[in-house]
Amino acid sequence: MRRARTSVWVATVVGLALAGPAPVTAQDDDAGVTYDDILAGFADPTRWLTYSGDYSGQRHSPLTQITPANAHRLAPAWTFQTGFDTRGRGFETTPLVLDGVLYVTGSNNYAWAIDARSGRPFWQYRRQLPDDLTYGASAPVNRGFGILGDRLFMVTLDAHLLALDRATGSILWDVVLADYKVGYAATLAPLVLDGKVIVGISGGEYATRGFIDAYDPETGEQIWRFYTIPGPGEPGSETWPDDPLTLARGGSGTWMNGSYDPELDLIYWGTGNPNPDYNGDSRPGDNLYSNSIVALEAETGALRWHFQFTPHDLNDWDSNHVPVLVDLEWEGEERQVVMLANRNGFFYVLDRETGELLLGEPFTGTTWARELDAAGRPIILNDGSQGCLPDPWGSTNFYPPSFDPNLELFFVTARETCATFVKQEPEYVPGRQSTGGVIWIDQDQGWSALRALDPRSGELEWEFRYPSPTFAGVMSTASGLVFAGDHEGNFIAFESATGKDLWHYQTGSRIWGAGAMTFMLDGRQMVLIPSGSTLVAFALPLD
Amino acid sequence: MRHTLLSAVALLVLAAPTVAQQTANPYDSDPAAMRAGRALFANRCAECHGADARGFSGPDLTVLWAEGTSDERVFQTIRSGVSGSIMPSSTAPDNEIWAMVAYVKSISTVAAALDAPGDPERGQELVQARCTRCHYVAGGGGYLGPDLSRIGAVRTRESLMRSIREPAASIQPGYRTVTLVTPSGDRIRGVAKGEDAFSVQILDTRQQLRGYMKSDLAEVVREPVSLMPEFTSARLPDEDLNDIVRYLGTLRGNR
Repeated sequence: MRRARTSVWVATVVGLALAGPAPVTAQDDDAGVTYDDILAGFADPTRWLTYSGDYSGQRHSPLTQITPANAHRLAPAWTFQTGFDTRGRGFETTPLVLDGVLYVTGSNNYAWAIDARSGRPFWQYRRQLPDDLTYGASAPVNRGFGILGDRLFMVTLDAHLLALDRATGSILWDVVLADYKVGYAATLAPLVLDGKVIVGISGGEYATRGFIDAYDPETGEQIWRFYTIPGPGEPGSETWPDDPLTLARGGSGTWMNGSYDPELDLIYWGTGNPNPDYNGDSRPGDNLYSNSIVALEAETGALRWHFQFTPHDLNDWDSNHVPVLVDLEWEGEERQVVMLANRNGFFYVLDRETGELLLGEPFTGTTWARELDAAGRPIILNDGSQGCLPDPWGSTNFYPPSFDPNLELFFVTARETCATFVKQEPEYVPGRQSTGGVIWIDQDQGWSALRALDPRSGELEWEFRYPSPTFAGVMSTASGLVFAGDHEGNFIAFESATGKDLWHYQTGSRIWGAGAMTFMLDGRQMVLIPSGSTLVAFALPLD
Repeated sequence: MRHTLLSAVALLVLAAPTVAQQTANPYDSDPAAMRAGRALFANRCAECHGADARGFSGPDLTVLWAEGTSDERVFQTIRSGVSGSIMPSSTAPDNEIWAMVAYVKSISTVAAALDAPGDPERGQELVQARCTRCHYVAGGGGYLGPDLSRIGAVRTRESLMRSIREPAASIQPGYRTVTLVTPSGDRIRGVAKGEDAFSVQILDTRQQLRGYMKSDLAEVVREPVSLMPEFTSARLPDEDLNDIVRYLGTLRGNR
């Protein structure tokens, strides 16, 4: 924390604001977004105020103007061009929208406020990035803003957290999360709660130590930090060698958004791979809390429970997924559950109050394991050394799934791939990756599918196949539509109940890492998808 | 689960050597490493250098070795980037960079075909007579198969001989055989240039570019054979093969 620097920033920006002309914006005069507004989720159909649309992570919009009957008439309304590509990755953001203004982060730490009616920008922010970025150079992406009051919150590839003025894009405060030179970076969309901005960290391919942080939205002051790798002697350290250095570089990044249950006041967050990724010789044990979901008390950051999906991971199967919070009837009683499809190939349902495992079933053809034991540990059949395991990108990845509570279906992009894992001795050089292995991927064997899963059994209800492994997120709507995309660039609308493809649009670049979002604008339902260097808005024709 | 399971496939497993501070590529000519390098290249390099490494917004990489570069120089360029350009530095592990170097070199190796046996002039006559309906060669020819105008700079004699005797053993992306069946039962054969969930793009056997929506077709049949016939020794005696390959070895870039 650099308090002195923070104060200087605030003073500078306030000074500029007073001296400059009044900004021309489309925002209201009130105090902006409140915690209650975010808590209300989709209640106001003109808004999308947090990464998944609401705290549940369901990414399921109540909007119904676009339906299975008229989706074939969808047409582009406008295209916004960022002006640059994202090397090796995608345009992974989810825009926020408030009062007709979109707040959008881009790759390479650009960001914009964009007129949702025209696709024209109000302002552009560009962070001057150091030329010796580490993880941030290999994945120069960002998944979106958080918003509260008249402030936007954004993390950076050099591992800072910023607060920006919503009207101008000016920096209000800037705090350091961790030292990027060691291997840290930050890429997620901050999760804004009542009086807290929650963020996580990237860099598990480097000798780093993951954490989840809470910051004061007003000042940028750190409120709490939860380390995903315990310190010596702390609970969980018994799953590691008795060696402080191994713990200090244990990895387990927290680079994807969590979800929040306001009644239980618990945050749910996925954790990443232990380091070195592919060679576990130096870290015998389960390596808690890597490849897990943790439930943290929002007030203090204290760990309430955890569940580890992949003990002693050797395949880089991070568990950095959006936890999907659902209340549903389970074997005759109402249960509050959290569900997720994991990079390790299993679909899980847990009780979100206690962490009790309710279901764990494979949702791909993975040969790694086909069942869990009574304690929820995978029974491993193929460790990957003999080939044809799901590749390190996994059976699915961070890109968002969705859940339709009416149909009670979980929609996820599933990848079927074939890779051989060969371990090597890791090299520990600060700022260099220490993956401890090399992977051969058989490209000719990859494909993928949008799948609809029954959450009570994990059974496949339907699938739509793509010719190559794809990385697109999913959004569903109450009218019975699922929006997804593929590696060939198609943005596609499906009928939720059947998987029938109703409409598609070739965006010209693979849809990678992003899920769609939707909102009402002047009585018209807009659907937005980032793809390549463009953000494209669709709606039904005006006629 | 009601979907098809993955079939287990044995892959070549590489015994990985120590790679720190090397100047020679530990993965040179290693088929598994080149396959891995191809995947890494597709993810990290193809956006600028093109899917075939022959240049897009960035330069053609397949000519680097012919221009006299070394594995180590290419490695260092990937590691350090090119200042003043958008070519970034890389923090990838050494083994990944070496795998990419091995891959790019494999599609640009200067072949040792010039001192091989055979009569290049007779080879040229044979190529003109038997190959140029489908292959473009130094000034003319077709496009159904790969352009051979610089094949001598990018393929070894052995791999050329194998491609002529057993064309299906290794088919480059963009030259894989596909047959499209229309609702009325017509069959359109060609090589697949592209495909997504809804469409397929081909060069048909009349060498016309044609795009189809899958919804307008009854079936898309992917065939494991090459459109190029197998030139067995009965069809092409060893002497003729030697002459052809000797001639192909002289083809180094003059279109």
